[in-house]
Amino acid sequence: MKEDLMLDLERKIEKTIYKATLALDENNWSEFFELCDESFTYAITSFSPEINKNMTYFSGDRKELVGLMDMLPKHNTDHSPLHRHTSVYSVDIAEGGKSATAISSVTIYQNMLDGINSHLDSGESRLFVIGKYIDQFSIIDGVPKFTNRETKLDNRRLDKGSHWLL
Amino acid sequence: MDFEAISDAKDAEQSDRGMSEKIAEVPLNPEFIVEQAHIFRNAWVPVCHESELPEPYDFRTASIGSENIIICRAPDGKINALLNVCPHRGMLIERRPQGSFLEGQASGNPKRITCMFHAWQFDMRGNCVYVAREKEGYQERFSKDDAGLRRLRCTVNFGGFVWVNMTDQPVAMLEEWAGPAMQTIENQISAAPLEVVHYHKEYVETGYQAEALQYLNAAKAGALFDYGHCVITGSDLGSGKQDSSARFPDPKSQRVTCVHLFPGYRFELSGPVLNVSVVTPVDRNRIMIEHRGLVPQTESQADREMRSKYYNLSHGPFKTPTTVSGEQSEKSLLSEHYLEEWSMWMGTHPEGLSRINEKSVADQDGDQETNQALTGPHIVVIGASHAGISMADRLRKNGFIGNISIFDRQVGGPMERPPLSKGFLLGGGETVESKSLLRQKKWYKANKVKLKTQSVVHKINRDNKTITVNNGDVVKYDKLVIASGAVPKELPSSKGIGNAFVLRQPADANAIRQAANNSDSVVIIGGGYIGLEVAASLRKKGMDITVIEAGERILARVASKPLAEYLNKLHEDNGVTVITNVGVEGINQEAGIFNNVTLSDGRVIKGDMLITGIGVYPDSQLASDAGLETQFDNGGAILVDNDMRTSDEDIFAIGDVAIRREQTIAVESVHNAQETAAIAAASITGANRPNTQTPWFWSDQYDAKLQSVGIVPVQDENVYQVERLGKRDGAVSFWSYRGDELVAVEVINDPATYMEARQCLDTRRFPDPKQIGKPSYSPVDSGGSRS
Ligand SMILES: Cc1cc2nc3c(=O)[nH]c(=O)nc-3n(C[C@H](O)[C@H](O)[C@H](O)COP(=O)(O)OP(=O)(O)OC[C@H]3O[C@@H](n4cnc5c(N)ncnc54)[C@H](O)[C@@H]3O)c2cc1C
Ligand code: FES
Repeated sequence: MKEDLMLDLERKIEKTIYKATLALDENNWSEFFELCDESFTYAITSFSPEINKNMTYFSGDRKELVGLMDMLPKHNTDHSPLHRHTSVYSVDIAEGGKSATAISSVTIYQNMLDGINSHLDSGESRLFVIGKYIDQFSIIDGVPKFTNRETKLDNRRLDKGSHWLL
Repeated sequence: MDFEAISDAKDAEQSDRGMSEKIAEVPLNPEFIVEQAHIFRNAWVPVCHESELPEPYDFRTASIGSENIIICRAPDGKINALLNVCPHRGMLIERRPQGSFLEGQASGNPKRITCMFHAWQFDMRGNCVYVAREKEGYQERFSKDDAGLRRLRCTVNFGGFVWVNMTDQPVAMLEEWAGPAMQTIENQISAAPLEVVHYHKEYVETGYQAEALQYLNAAKAGALFDYGHCVITGSDLGSGKQDSSARFPDPKSQRVTCVHLFPGYRFELSGPVLNVSVVTPVDRNRIMIEHRGLVPQTESQADREMRSKYYNLSHGPFKTPTTVSGEQSEKSLLSEHYLEEWSMWMGTHPEGLSRINEKSVADQDGDQETNQALTGPHIVVIGASHAGISMADRLRKNGFIGNISIFDRQVGGPMERPPLSKGFLLGGGETVESKSLLRQKKWYKANKVKLKTQSVVHKINRDNKTITVNNGDVVKYDKLVIASGAVPKELPSSKGIGNAFVLRQPADANAIRQAANNSDSVVIIGGGYIGLEVAASLRKKGMDITVIEAGERILARVASKPLAEYLNKLHEDNGVTVITNVGVEGINQEAGIFNNVTLSDGRVIKGDMLITGIGVYPDSQLASDAGLETQFDNGGAILVDNDMRTSDEDIFAIGDVAIRREQTIAVESVHNAQETAAIAAASITGANRPNTQTPWFWSDQYDAKLQSVGIVPVQDENVYQVERLGKRDGAVSFWSYRGDELVAVEVINDPATYMEARQCLDTRRFPDPKQIGKPSYSPVDSGGSRS
């Protein structure tokens, strides 16, 4: 593939990841799903040195995720918004330019709203989790769409917080 | 290896201090401490699962209450639980959450648990198999056979969980305690070997009790079992299309059963997975819950994924939250059952029922040798050195019949400090025998003194008159005596350098002696008594010695000028280079090992090892953390009145750590330690106050035996000295006067004159300063002037 085409694709992929970050920060699930392929699957994973194993904390396909997000308003969930800081570290476009893999570092802060005593706690920002996004894309007509996202956390201590897409 | 071990000796001292400071910062709620002592120290705790340490030499670390523990698998496959605290100086040994001892670590050998501080090594059963320089350092006083890691009661049971109990004498064995409740799921969780495939922790801002009650109230009903446990059978998962007869570990199982164990562990069969949640209280209103997901060890990937999905939905960190119901849980029978059990542990049961039997209480306080609880008040002493031991001795001599407990962070029987800079350094071991022990073992027994070594007191809780010890014990006192002594000052630039030492404790002396055996030259910073004694001792070994003193002369803070000149010459005659009036600009290392000192005048003094003897600071952190008055805002000696009482009337301070309010010069000596102990003991027991003596002190350097009585006011320009030659060759004394008043006498190699000088000062009969220089003049028979 030509270099300028590659560069263009790389930029598009980065843009998609950043757009996804903004959409997720705003809990705008439909905008996020628009960036995803129909075959999209999602997982939150972690490696535990305590038990020496890779673990999956959460997984779902597009249909399951959409269902889960629709249910959110009915759940007793924490309302503290999350704020992601994402940096795309690498983008690897497969030969032929039909798919790509990108690795980004992500740090997620929780801006406290709910609290044991929200009178005291609300407004404070706490580090929530750190990890990486390992994203797979399909590229159709020059448009990258997420086919899979693995949010690989470093955290094994996960306290009270939001139970939605990180 | 030696160098590492030696430099680590200092690190250990440093981090030891650092650690106690850190722990002291955590404001633990007093009730929380009692709960820890009563409940968590006596309860069985499922600390991990056997699959987390599958191979021999694998280990896992955990904590129960404030105790750190290691769980490891021995070569024969057996799992043992050990206290993760080095018996040498109480340092934490293993810091990783999990790993293997099969391969050697940077600081240790393969198949050994190695303490990184001074390289003591232990096998998988906790036996001590190597003590660095055991024979040279400790001789007969101590053997590695006495120094194992403390082994804890540990059983693998109920689906392969590793259960540990901190007490040697649990209220009930595990089978009796949890067996009946666990029976309901035992067949299922033991049907196939299980494996932990999921682990996460969660901190929750609540108490362990509140968390349990919330769960039990929500569950509403269940079967009750002894010891506060219950079993709750939930409604089946899923749509009912599955095979309803299937039971875990069958992947089709939809059944839900939870065994809730007091004080806060849940074994939940949730369809095809077993979840085990274990609570560890962090403080009264903060808990950590560990969640483990277990599945059978051998099965298809697809089954595993299916189980994992189930697990995540109901127990994972991103589980589906509960839906809004608005319904408040009412208090259930289950929570009443739980609370009744709780009250039996905390001593608040309405009918006086109690779980804490005599066995378990004795075990908490226990010392094998002197575990005879006496009636009457309890006097607790922090520090088992010259002051602390004298205190116990005087209390008994004054007829005190209550309990005496002494806590010290050191290993082994308390030793005298003065020989450490003298004969001890000379020997290959033969010079220190049991005679350097402050007291023989039998003395503690005969005097019913409980000595707790390797016990660091972390905190004084004045509100409820308790102290907190590093093993989590909370000990009540009626009177507390702080005899924590002093800690040597160090130059910041010498910290962390190999072959650079300070000298205070037996372990320091031991490390110096060992390094000296492999070195030819030593640089000593500080021309005080300790520096000079070390110089004399090491010079006798044939080493090249340079003493660097920043002051105009050696012993500028503590001795008269003529004595200093005498000793300076003595050292030079013996081949020691003494450099005065010059500062240290830099301490330089090569590959982490001391190499040379740069002086402020540009000179570079090379040496194989460095010893810093620039004074001490009182170890008063505990006291100032507890709000007791000290000399300065951020430390200094603890201020006491003439009875050695601190600003808290139930707390006394003695020895190097204390200073009387009107006292201007700190006196760090054995005499001061003994005398202040005697005064405090008299005050506590109501005995007659002892007659105080004029302060005395001694020092040995080469063949010169110095004895000194009185304190030389070195700053006072009106003080002058008269030299008096003794009858024997080499005997000389320096008499310090202020006008006609005799204030101090320093005597070399003349014990008879020393006794006379002491008599003069004790009776305040002052010999004529104009006559004292004449050997024919008798200081005591002269009927000298009396003040
Ligand atoms: C090498 C050397 C040579 C000396 N030579 C002489 C001499 O020739 N003549 C003389 O009169 N004096 C000499 N001294 C001084 C004398 O030894 C001290 O003045 C004396 O030891 C003071 O006794 P102490 O009990 O107050 O304190 P220390 O001896 O310092 O003992 C304090 C004890 O408290 C323990 N401790 C502290 N904090 C805690 C805690 N939080 N929990 C548990 N334990 C704790 C320490 O481990 C230590 O064992 C010498 C000192 C040294 C180091
Ligand atoms: S503290 Fe462990 S070997 Fe010294």
